[in-house]
Amino acid sequence: MTLQDILLIIIRVAIGAFVPLCFVAVSVWMERRGASFIQDRSGPNRANILGFRAGGLIQNLADAVKLFFKEDVIPAHIKHKFYFVLAPIIVCVTALVSFAVVPFADTLVLGDKEYLMQAIPTDLGILWFLAIASFAVYGIILAGWSSHNKYGMLGGLRSAAQVISYEIPMGLAIISLLVVYGTVSLNEMAQFQGQLLFGFIPMWGVILQPIGVVIFMVAAFAEANRTPFDLAEGESEIVAGYHVEYSGLKFTIFFMGEYVAMFASSAIIVTLYFGGYQIPWFNTATLLKYAVPVTLLLMIATPIIAKFVAAWIRKNNVSHYERENDPRVREANVYIKIVWGAVILLEAIFFLYLVFASGGAADNILVACLQICTFLAKTTFMLFVYVWVRWTLPRFRYDQLQKLGWNVLLPLSLLNIFVTSAIVVALS
Amino acid sequence: MSIKVKTIVRYGRSWQERLYLIEVFKGMACTFRHFITNFLDNSKLYVRHYPEVKPEITPRWRGRHRLTTHEDGTIKCVACYMCQTNCPAQCIQIEAGERTDGRTEKVPLKFDIDLLECIYCGYCVEACPMDAIRMDTGIFSVTATNREEMKMTIDQLRSTPGAFSEEEYKKGGA
Amino acid sequence: MFADGLFILFTVIAVTGAAGLVLFKHPMNGAMSFIVTLIAMAGLYALLSAKLIFAIQLIVYAGAIMSLILFIIMFLNIQEEDLPVEEGRFKYLIGGAIIVAPIGLFLTRVIKSFPGAEKTITVEGFGGIKEVGLILFREWLLPFEIVSILLLVSLVGAVVLAGKRRMVK
Repeated sequence: MTLQDILLIIIRVAIGAFVPLCFVAVSVWMERRGASFIQDRSGPNRANILGFRAGGLIQNLADAVKLFFKEDVIPAHIKHKFYFVLAPIIVCVTALVSFAVVPFADTLVLGDKEYLMQAIPTDLGILWFLAIASFAVYGIILAGWSSHNKYGMLGGLRSAAQVISYEIPMGLAIISLLVVYGTVSLNEMAQFQGQLLFGFIPMWGVILQPIGVVIFMVAAFAEANRTPFDLAEGESEIVAGYHVEYSGLKFTIFFMGEYVAMFASSAIIVTLYFGGYQIPWFNTATLLKYAVPVTLLLMIATPIIAKFVAAWIRKNNVSHYERENDPRVREANVYIKIVWGAVILLEAIFFLYLVFASGGAADNILVACLQICTFLAKTTFMLFVYVWVRWTLPRFRYDQLQKLGWNVLLPLSLLNIFVTSAIVVALS
Repeated sequence: MSIKVKTIVRYGRSWQERLYLIEVFKGMACTFRHFITNFLDNSKLYVRHYPEVKPEITPRWRGRHRLTTHEDGTIKCVACYMCQTNCPAQCIQIEAGERTDGRTEKVPLKFDIDLLECIYCGYCVEACPMDAIRMDTGIFSVTATNREEMKMTIDQLRSTPGAFSEEEYKKGGA
Repeated sequence: MFADGLFILFTVIAVTGAAGLVLFKHPMNGAMSFIVTLIAMAGLYALLSAKLIFAIQLIVYAGAIMSLILFIIMFLNIQEEDLPVEEGRFKYLIGGAIIVAPIGLFLTRVIKSFPGAEKTITVEGFGGIKEVGLILFREWLLPFEIVSILLLVSLVGAVVLAGKRRMVK
């Protein structure tokens, strides 16, 4: 084990573990501000540190502090305290671990060594995701059962039945995808999607499997217990479902687990159907070949993008009422300075790369960084889709949910498998 | 003569609607339109920036109480106990005394309103024969850090000014 | 050395879980300890570098089947007072252990006398998903299909049995 090996292991595990946790904050923020913009409200924008509100991100910090310092109640009627404590941990840990096999960049070649850019370098791929995702239901079952409460029990039952029945269409959608890709390894799937269909369309799963992507996404929404399938915590019927008895830190872990699961399933959807880390029309080989022109393009593009971002900040970060010496303008000035500082830093890095390091190992690292950024951008968009759907569609009724799962998605996914296999056999 | 018949169009029967997916995308397009306009320009949100921008209070709004006075500054209240009797929440406590300015015989020595008990129904205003109690101060946010502060005494009630002119108040329908 | 340590760890966990399944009184505790056993078994498969079996063990047994069992336990919501009173549990347990012990000893003897007991796996890609799939669909296609028909029959049977009750109603 050289120093390089150890460093890369640390980097990969850090990305695998901390990125989902950081994205909990981002997705909670996106949920609140996105919901409010969809409903023509402004959302949380008051909490601040020294006047800096970071667009409402500070509100998350305030919420986290509140939840951490709340009393952690275990109600006296709970007999199986071990399961009661275990349940949120299972939910959160399974969500975190299921992200571990998602590749966030193509295989990194440094010298004569190759590194799989995923937290656990295995080719189990989608099988691992399925295995771990099916464990999440234990957390829900145990929470509902050990709460010893009618609402908790009903929520747990609903959620467990929902997750178990939607795992079937999800698995079948994956099978038809496997027929297309011919591999279970997520990295190889992403590499496959770097190709071009008819020479000009990126060969993404969404183009090869238009029905599969709908089935998979519906099933993923149901697995993550998100609206329109969040019957497990239907507030109007069963208060909060399986986490009705939870408070303080244990509730926080449940809450985080939900958002980590959302992040992990967005990452999986992106990897399976939206090209993973691939930049459309620029697969890894092309990027490596044209590393210098791409860098030059980025050097031109970053200030232009930054100019738009700065204009956007200037326009929107003001008080919309009469106010002397608007502190939000001062705040906006600081943000704009930060944006330009970041641009200067990036330009400096690109410049140093062009002058000193172009060609050789630095190219590979640059490409890996670009791919990580692409992957995170795609995943963020997918998280936005989760939020978007949540604030658009009303909740399903329970019988509609099961009918959709068994009467529509199951036959549709079976049909999809037949059609896909027929086409694949005919073409090969 | 024909009977007027209004045919109600039933939605959700055609196959496009039963497919649900098209309708989902339509709905998502609608919400996205809202999102992107507000995201790019957040000045048109239907939001009142509350602590800084106060809501418009109409004269009919039942806010915190006040006791009105004659032009010469003497209190209109004659301590008839009408409001206290009428109060469904029993939050008014009056103690009558002898009046010396010659207007009437009685004057309230004590006129306490416990705002923690008050339900802002306005029956005291309705009941008052002298137009002595009004709820037109426009104060809608009543807060305090302890219970004692929530008890309005006669001096506080007298010193609170009305938020509206006499004409506006009369037009407001009280 | 590391693999030996893991092997001992997984076997201890598996045996403890199995013992818990037998000894715990409450069905939920029993089911949970069985899940622990199944996960430890998956670990053992992984040590044998059987990746596919490892994944399938987790997905099918520890994931799907046990979550259904847990679901049913939760659905029935059994309380302490609903459980039957078992007198002389330990008498039965000890008696059973004495009866089973010779069979276990016999089995260990049999396994030790296998010709390939000392053999180690050296084939490249053994137990990988692709390799198992190829073997399954090239050399063992007929048994595989027969098993799948068996599963189909049981599926149809379940549907028929579930439908019958509605007919009677």
